[in-house]
Amino acid sequence: MGLGFAIGVFGVLILFHAAYATIQYRGLLKITEEEFSGPPMNVVAELLLGLFFCMWAALAVPGKFLSIHPDSEENRIVSLPANLDFMIFNHRGKVFPGQMDLKLRH
Amino acid sequence: MVAHGDSSSSEKKLGNGLNDLPTFNAENLQQNMKTIHYSRTFMSIIGGVVAGIFGFTGLKGFVLYFLVMAFTSIGLMAKAKFSVHSYFDSWNRVLLDGLFGGLMSFVLFWTFAYDIVHIF
Repeated sequence: MGLGFAIGVFGVLILFHAAYATIQYRGLLKITEEEFSGPPMNVVAELLLGLFFCMWAALAVPGKFLSIHPDSEENRIVSLPANLDFMIFNHRGKVFPGQMDLKLRH
Repeated sequence: MVAHGDSSSSEKKLGNGLNDLPTFNAENLQQNMKTIHYSRTFMSIIGGVVAGIFGFTGLKGFVLYFLVMAFTSIGLMAKAKFSVHSYFDSWNRVLLDGLFGGLMSFVLFWTFAYDIVHIF
């Protein structure tokens, strides 16, 4: 998950770089007074790369899918909820002296 | 194994033998739904930023959104190893959930990025 997060951060950084490159390109177009038809090819490639990295991170970071079959290996119920019917009090603890004279420590 | 508390970690939907409702572990299903919701929301935001940087206006941006969502769906299928029924209870959940909620985030970040890159 750390790797997926790093890839996501990297993808977002690539997108920021592409945005900055587009802003500079528009500044250049203003000087030469041309119309903006689309970002230059390397910015397009950068955007697709950033999109790919972010998609990888979007799939890897949130965590695995958990199985919903009740009888699959990792869904076994191995304990009972705390239920008075199953608690046993008839054990060797009954030979301890009844009254304890010690006070509780604060 | 450590004893679990009263809030059971696996509430089941049980069915009787005659109707034969599918039984599944509802808490894991919810966890899986949260996972795909996070994935879709993040990809909506990233798609919005990309659409803004490209300078799409109008219908082209929405086309990009549905393309990005389609690729995200394919990616989620691949993540579930294409056996949807061991992680979800129906195909629609994986394919269609969060599609229109993500549209709002997409448009928000689309206009945001477009303003930053092309107007200011």
